[in-house]
Amino acid sequence: MATHPEYAQWQELATKLMKGKPLDSLDWQTPEGITVKPLYTAEDLEGLENTNTLPGLAPYARGPMATMYAGRPWTIRQYAGFSTAAESNKFYRNALAAGQKGLSVAFDLATHRGYDSDHPRVTGDVGKAGVAIDSVEDMKILFDGIPLDKMSVSMTMNGAVIPILASYIVAAEEQGVAHEQLTGTIQNDILKEYLTRNTFIYPPTPSMRIVADIIGFCSHNMPRYNTISISGYHMMEAGANSVLQVAFTIADGLEYVRTALKAGMDIDDFAPRLSFFFGIGMNFFMDIAMLRAARLLWYQLMRQFNPKNPRSSMLRTHCQTSGWSLTEQDPYNNIIRTTLEALTSVLGGTQSLHTNSFDEAIGLPTDFSARIARNTQIIIQEESEVCHVIDPLGGSYYVESLTSSIVAEAMKIIDEVEELGGMAKAIESGMPKMRIEESAARKQARIDQGLDVIVGVNKYKIKDEKIDFEIREVPASVRDDQVARLTQIRATRDNAQVEKTLAELTRVAREGGNLLEAALPAIRARATVGEVSDAMEQVFGRYVANTRCISGAYASEFGTESESLVLLRKRTEEFLKKHGRRPRMLVTKMGQDGHDRGIKVIASAYADLGFDVDIGPLFQTPREAAKMAIENDVHVVGASSLTAGHKTLVPNLVEELKKQGGTDIKVVAGGVIPPKDYDYLYKRGVQAVFGPGTSVIDSANRTLDLIDEPA
Amino acid sequence: MHNQPDYYIQGVLAANRLMLSRTITLIESGLPAHQELAATIIERLLPHTGKAVRLGITGVPGAGKSTFIESFGTMLTDLGHRVAVLAIDPSSARSGGSVLGDKTRMQELSINDHAFIRPSPSGGTLGGVARKTRETMLACEAAGFDVIIIETVGVGQSETAVASMVDFFLVLMIAGAGDELQGIKKGILEVADTIVINKADGDNLMRAERARREYETALHILTPASANWTPRVLTCSALKKIGLSEIWETVADHHKALKTAGEFDAKRRKQAQDWMYFLLEEGLKSWFFSHPDIKDNLPRLRSAIHNQEISPTAAAGQLLSHLSR
Repeated sequence: MATHPEYAQWQELATKLMKGKPLDSLDWQTPEGITVKPLYTAEDLEGLENTNTLPGLAPYARGPMATMYAGRPWTIRQYAGFSTAAESNKFYRNALAAGQKGLSVAFDLATHRGYDSDHPRVTGDVGKAGVAIDSVEDMKILFDGIPLDKMSVSMTMNGAVIPILASYIVAAEEQGVAHEQLTGTIQNDILKEYLTRNTFIYPPTPSMRIVADIIGFCSHNMPRYNTISISGYHMMEAGANSVLQVAFTIADGLEYVRTALKAGMDIDDFAPRLSFFFGIGMNFFMDIAMLRAARLLWYQLMRQFNPKNPRSSMLRTHCQTSGWSLTEQDPYNNIIRTTLEALTSVLGGTQSLHTNSFDEAIGLPTDFSARIARNTQIIIQEESEVCHVIDPLGGSYYVESLTSSIVAEAMKIIDEVEELGGMAKAIESGMPKMRIEESAARKQARIDQGLDVIVGVNKYKIKDEKIDFEIREVPASVRDDQVARLTQIRATRDNAQVEKTLAELTRVAREGGNLLEAALPAIRARATVGEVSDAMEQVFGRYVANTRCISGAYASEFGTESESLVLLRKRTEEFLKKHGRRPRMLVTKMGQDGHDRGIKVIASAYADLGFDVDIGPLFQTPREAAKMAIENDVHVVGASSLTAGHKTLVPNLVEELKKQGGTDIKVVAGGVIPPKDYDYLYKRGVQAVFGPGTSVIDSANRTLDLIDEPA
Repeated sequence: MHNQPDYYIQGVLAANRLMLSRTITLIESGLPAHQELAATIIERLLPHTGKAVRLGITGVPGAGKSTFIESFGTMLTDLGHRVAVLAIDPSSARSGGSVLGDKTRMQELSINDHAFIRPSPSGGTLGGVARKTRETMLACEAAGFDVIIIETVGVGQSETAVASMVDFFLVLMIAGAGDELQGIKKGILEVADTIVINKADGDNLMRAERARREYETALHILTPASANWTPRVLTCSALKKIGLSEIWETVADHHKALKTAGEFDAKRRKQAQDWMYFLLEEGLKSWFFSHPDIKDNLPRLRSAIHNQEISPTAAAGQLLSHLSR
């Protein structure tokens, strides 16, 4: 088919409406670098492959299942976990009673990083951004009254996968549930940890062995269990655009496949149990197309391994609405954002979905906000009637064309990764991380200029907004409870048996064998999560992240003529003239939270604005951050907190600075901090708090106000 | 800022970390008042300096400098040394700002109580870096640090400046594909007292060994800078902490060889003389450019050259003639 016979007529009509501006001025350049036109026609589908396929059949663009939601809707799987196992258990049971279908466990950062709750490095992290699990005893409490032979359980665990998965298996054993009855998913996606989230423990090589060992153990003993959830979500949250997200995630997937093949497994023994996890943002059609493109890419790329089982090249995915897209300002808007993102996931054909609670930019979800989040999905499933038709956007000129564009753009990046020798090598080279950070800096610059609109943040702002809803608090007693239980376990178990089984685990780590299998006896003997992690650390060592920061991306997105940017650079120049050096700032992320998008964007943007910026290593303690601030003689320390550690860590930093003599060094805080805690922080010597959505220019100006005192 | 030299001097001599840090800020400052104060402080600290081992370390980006300093520095503190690391990071030409991220790759060392790490923005001028780094080194010595490591980014001109203020200059390399000598200036090899091939572990072991032999051959062709020392080529793995003590032994051998031959003291005295010349040039330059006559005439002559109304030689001649007035 050629151009539509009436296309010229449409063009004429449209041009008339444009009042002299050219028609192509309506084209939109997406952050992915794709040009989107105002109108798509049948002509746009000419020459495109895979625009006329069927669900359940290769190449799966229209969905992995033949009946999709017409047969059975996606699984409503809400990710949750906080404070103690008992508290989380109560929350899970309520959710299941209210219509939720599967469980998804969030662990606290101490657990992620393989530390027991009584470890000195994790005082600010216990029970904060997830549930604290120190031993199989905690795991048993977590699933008390929840039959593990019937309930599919997803666990977001990547660092301490061995002790956590082993604890889950042993908890099931002690419920009388056999290994082969277990269903669910362990995230077990370590590659993306080195890229974005940094909740790793060991260096990449032993970590990849752990992945292979888990795939190996489960494919023999737990055939209904998903051994890995290859995750793009965290890349999106770190600032990756949709093409970067899908490309790096698929490339991660290929690396895992090669790792398992290298370990001697047959492709069809494990590939059907690989699952994916994508993040869904506010770019509605883009992310629908991204999910369709992901299935096409996986099918195409898996063919090189010659699978016999069609399920081996069929991409099944979980989705989560974007936490980053939620705002602290005018927070009820988040319900609408999440609804749109949920619909995106559904139209893209997800197999399960988590919808965020509207208060997550401020704190942990409450029972109320969790109910709204859950009902968002139930209403789409049961009221909107969207489930009756499979892939309803299949054949849409725009969506099909966009799907093909994403496939093409993502393939370019995947090819680049393959040329570097696969994702593990690419990560070593720093390429994916730089791309994601560049994308994040550009996004921040677009937001700060009002090009990307966020209602309530950079447009339609409300003055003197007051938060009028309840916010969940994690009581400080959580850590005490955990420590008490640890003490009790250590006092009552057979310590000789613990030592023997841990020594055996260390031996397997050194000499070879399956690590998950070797961890089970230790967990049965009541070895703790920390002890099991340490037993392997003795051989593998603990990995130290290599932090690099891009520069120039923020300013280049802004354009050199932007007035606010020019004014700020002038201010830093004046500061230099007045004080003899540039304003110097240490950005630090204390505690075990490894989400470093915030500090990276800040560091790169502030450097572009003329600051000298020091970046603290991840997982710093307040004392260590203070030492660094003093040695570098910074004017100000910017502490970022996303996981509720701000009330302990930031005031501790102020104290430490005082103790070490740096009383004149200012402290500002940013991240997810509830406005009601601002006063608490101000009273403890914090000079400014920048909530989510504060523009970088604003925060830089306020920081300069603080430090620009007479010389 | 306090303006009493004693406040800083006593602090530095008492090994107070904050006072050392503030003194370095004064040294790095662009304000004349700070520079004067810093000069006084350094002058008075001078008798307390000179006892440290001064090491310069450079290498191409990706050679693993930070990991090396992390492992090497930690080994030294374990041996009872107090280690100061001065890292020079490039500033952005456009915004003037910089990201000083290298500490993030020295996670262990940065929290070590026997170590002091100070990254400094290069801030544009080469002369500035050289002056500030040398004085900072002296301040660290006065504060009791007995090993000073100066790290530069590599492949720049700052290496020769750094080489002229240290006792031992170490160039860190990795075995790469293709031409092993690519990306590193011959001038840097000429000032190297030792070349170390990093990342000699695992699959890379053979390649590192091959690279070591190639560099040995390359060094063979160059005339050694010292009659008493033949530069060595070693391999190590900073990550796996292999080969590090051999490097420290090499530093000790070098020290002994030069000391025995009397070259060590001669070198330091020569460096002090060079330093004076350097300061003279810097001072002349800054005096010249801030001279009212020059300030008045320079912009005019610059545009005259642009409009091809005067030759560069004639313009420079006119300006320099102000010197003799």
